[in-house]
Amino acid sequence: MWIERIARWVRYLALAPLLLLSGCSTQGFWLFDPKGPMAHADLYYMIIDVAVMLSIVGITALMIVWFMWRYRKSHGKGKYDPKWTHSSAIEVVVWGIPIIAVGFLSYYTVQGTYALNPYDPTVIKGHAAAGGEPLEVDVITTDWRWLFVYPKYHIASVNELVVPAHTPVHFRLTSTSVTNDFFIPQLVGMIDVMPGMRTKSALLANHVGEYQGFSADYSGAGFSWMQFRTKAVTAEQFQQWTQRIQASPRRLSYAAFEEYAKPYIDVSGKPEYFSGVQDGLFDHILGEVMNGKVWPIPMAMTENMVDYMKEQNARTAN
Amino acid sequence: MLVDLQGPWSPLLGRLALSQIPYENPILAPLFVVVAIMGIAIIAALSYYGKWGYLWREWLTTVDHKKIGIMYIIIGLVMLFRGFMDGLMIRTQQAMAVGPDAAGYMGALHGYLTPYHFGQIYSAHGVIMILLAATPLLVGIMNVIVPIQVGARDMAYPYLNAVGLWITAAAAVLVMASLFVGDFSHNGWFGIAPIFELPYSPGVGVDYWMWVMQLAALGSTLGSINILATIVKMRAPGMTWLRLPIFTWASLATNIIALTSFPALTVALALIGFDRYLGTHFFTAGLGGNLMLYTDLFWLWGHPEVYFVILPAFGMLSEIIPTFSEKPLFGYVTMVLATFGIAGVSWAVWLHHFFTMGAGPDVISFFSVATMLVGIPTGVKVFNWAFTMYRGRLRFETPMLWSIGSLFLLLVGGLTGMMLAFPAINYMVHNSVFVIAHFHSMLLMIVYAIFGAVTYWWPKIFGFKLNEAWGKAVFWLFTAGTVGVFVPMYTLGFMGMTRRLDYVFNTQWQLLLDVQMLGIAFYSLSVLAFLGLLYVSIRDRAKSRVSHDAWGTTHSVEWMTPSPVPFYNFAVVPHINARDEWSWRKEHGFTDLRPDHYEDIHMPKNTGIPLILGVLTFLLGFGLTWRIWWLCALSLALIIAVVIIRSFDADTGYIIPADEVERMERAHHDRAQAAVELPQAGVPGGVTAYGQGNKPAAKGEVGAPGSGISSPEGSRA
Repeated sequence: MWIERIARWVRYLALAPLLLLSGCSTQGFWLFDPKGPMAHADLYYMIIDVAVMLSIVGITALMIVWFMWRYRKSHGKGKYDPKWTHSSAIEVVVWGIPIIAVGFLSYYTVQGTYALNPYDPTVIKGHAAAGGEPLEVDVITTDWRWLFVYPKYHIASVNELVVPAHTPVHFRLTSTSVTNDFFIPQLVGMIDVMPGMRTKSALLANHVGEYQGFSADYSGAGFSWMQFRTKAVTAEQFQQWTQRIQASPRRLSYAAFEEYAKPYIDVSGKPEYFSGVQDGLFDHILGEVMNGKVWPIPMAMTENMVDYMKEQNARTAN
Repeated sequence: MLVDLQGPWSPLLGRLALSQIPYENPILAPLFVVVAIMGIAIIAALSYYGKWGYLWREWLTTVDHKKIGIMYIIIGLVMLFRGFMDGLMIRTQQAMAVGPDAAGYMGALHGYLTPYHFGQIYSAHGVIMILLAATPLLVGIMNVIVPIQVGARDMAYPYLNAVGLWITAAAAVLVMASLFVGDFSHNGWFGIAPIFELPYSPGVGVDYWMWVMQLAALGSTLGSINILATIVKMRAPGMTWLRLPIFTWASLATNIIALTSFPALTVALALIGFDRYLGTHFFTAGLGGNLMLYTDLFWLWGHPEVYFVILPAFGMLSEIIPTFSEKPLFGYVTMVLATFGIAGVSWAVWLHHFFTMGAGPDVISFFSVATMLVGIPTGVKVFNWAFTMYRGRLRFETPMLWSIGSLFLLLVGGLTGMMLAFPAINYMVHNSVFVIAHFHSMLLMIVYAIFGAVTYWWPKIFGFKLNEAWGKAVFWLFTAGTVGVFVPMYTLGFMGMTRRLDYVFNTQWQLLLDVQMLGIAFYSLSVLAFLGLLYVSIRDRAKSRVSHDAWGTTHSVEWMTPSPVPFYNFAVVPHINARDEWSWRKEHGFTDLRPDHYEDIHMPKNTGIPLILGVLTFLLGFGLTWRIWWLCALSLALIIAVVIIRSFDADTGYIIPADEVERMERAHHDRAQAAVELPQAGVPGGVTAYGQGNKPAAKGEVGAPGSGISSPEGSRA
């Protein structure tokens, strides 16, 4: 029956979307397009791992397909041996191959863990001499905005991270309310940003440019809008930028911060700037949160939020 | 009140008020009407056909492990559908809400779901799929098959089995109640510390989540004790450990995991309860709390739970693949060792769920290497299945198709799992949709195995096969859905897209999100095809009746008793002579199922107490969620009273006399003989696993010694 014959082939169309893989290029593939040594090392280890694993998994998959073809009941060419259930040689091989592969990968995983340890990444150390003094940035997440404090310059910016290229940047991160995840795919992998805790991370941008950063861990209603632009600029541009922000009229003491940290869904993502940032603001916030300071979410932002969003839409429209 | 609650509270109704019913919600209100109409229709139909008595006697009060298993599977399938609808809504929202210019409907800024509503949906999707779909489906299949496979008449504790079922049902009803009364949690299925704390989740959503998880955990813990006791103490004479069917081995390993790991979840959730109800500070950021402690405690259960759901699936593949390869399993001992290897390592890998939480490199290295170790026994399993096919005679009937699909998903999931085990890679894809695609590969691998197992064991339980053509249609449509959704999702992972985005900020991701909708369309078609499969198979059941050995090449003990299995499983408890007992009997010509003498059978009595306990447990969960203290006190007191009263009931079993057993057995065999056409050689279901010759069996070989097929009454051939 021709209909049956067609039907038999039509079902393999189920696998057709695999063809879409052929459309892959690095365009838009942030993970394949690193712009700094941290992200670059991530990609390097990914290639090692995938190469090793794919050689095993791919061969296994082909082997299964071959067995399926050769030993199929109807017209299969394979010899049927219903008593064959054991072979010591094969047992050694099937245990041996995974053990060797895991042993090999274990070496690289440990090496990679130290190389990319967010507290002290060795991949950046080599670049430190060339780039000069590292820049310190304190990252504070609130519900639901990013605040980047540059303690040395007493400035802070919201939703915008500006760093000099070719200079190591060291981050200290904390949150005022719930956990977020600091992530700039083309520059550095994720690190949790937790309330009452201080984590660290570091990055180095090799190329001047603008990169997307965002929160990767769900933190509540405004989470989907928690993006920040990361601008890697030249050293001169960075100096000019800090001077411009230092002239900004808004000042950030802890009292002002308490007001700023109230829950707010920042759909516009517009950057804001502060000058005159209080000394030790990061440690002060950390201490307050550890002592039980919370910024509770009002009920209206944790129910279906229809009314709240309408109100906010109206506000942003104005 | 020990904690400050936002919103009103009254002694009579707790936090419950009319405003908590989302009657204005354009999605939930119509859904409620549909559910209500369906409920009324079912009640009306039951009354019209006078089936209430049947339902009560045969199902609601039953302690028969097969019926309990079937009810577990029904709960699992219904919740699988609910979970799928959640998944469909998640995908639709993400496809609609891309970029700042995306239109918004129904109060949402973009798409049609407001952020909090979206949060509830993906949280419900996770909780339901893992604890109320996959777990009941697997527990259900273990419930049905394990006692028969070990040659027992029922579980070690039939009453406890029913209690476990009804507590699980209470959890399912509670999660459904959250749709129509109040909100569900928005902090993910695993609970993201510290969003579940009162200041950040002031509503009842987290309370719903907590009690649903608690009840499901309680049900699973009770079930695991039962299956362990059954396997250890109820094996038929002659069934030594190394003759245990492989699926039973998997069930043993998986329930050891369940029994030892679920208490960690119970404790973690109880501590959240203290925080939310008593104002303690276990997991708060301040005042000495430690939110990382919760994450550790949760995954201390959560990762073993992953293997709790995957090991039975491995066991199912190990039963199905040999049957359709017409050959015994390759490397049985290795397979058992690998199963226990995975179970053992499952305890030492939990930290890989939060490599990004900032543990030091020493700790992370340990957990990374430990995680990779899982790849060794898993790899061995895959190779063993492959070598089971090698030199076999492969038949691609529906259960085998599902198994092969499962195998390929395992390969994909294994490859990506080894990537995630690498911290250097994990930092880039943790919390990204790559992780979502990875664990969906693994969970779908389980779902494929479950569908395979349901098709495989269906004739054993109901006495007729599912329709082959419709079964294959379901498989290919479902596979089209899987490829259509998860290939683009892996790709999006490499593009850097992270999970749980209610609003998708990068317009470059639009195309692949749209492709995923195509996959969702195929999944939807497969749901319809599945309903068609059930309808057609049940309609045509007279044509597809089978004898005890439904597939002709089966090998383990469960195929040595009539299909459908009588409620006492075996008229006479079989003596086990070999690892693949049924194959052994076929080889040696002992295929007559009729014993030479009958004996009295002792069986447990039906009881309505488990159902009552289930209802009371639901009321307790509901009361705790809404803080209706009088209801909590009352239902708790009643639960304790009912348990005590039941414990004084010494008369919980009854005897079926030997004559009665003989009469029922004759009826079984007569019915089977009348209904079943003798299987033919050379067609599916007609050839033995252990034929002597290497050539395909020719017609007319049936019934010859070693070909192993006998007619239901044994001597007709």
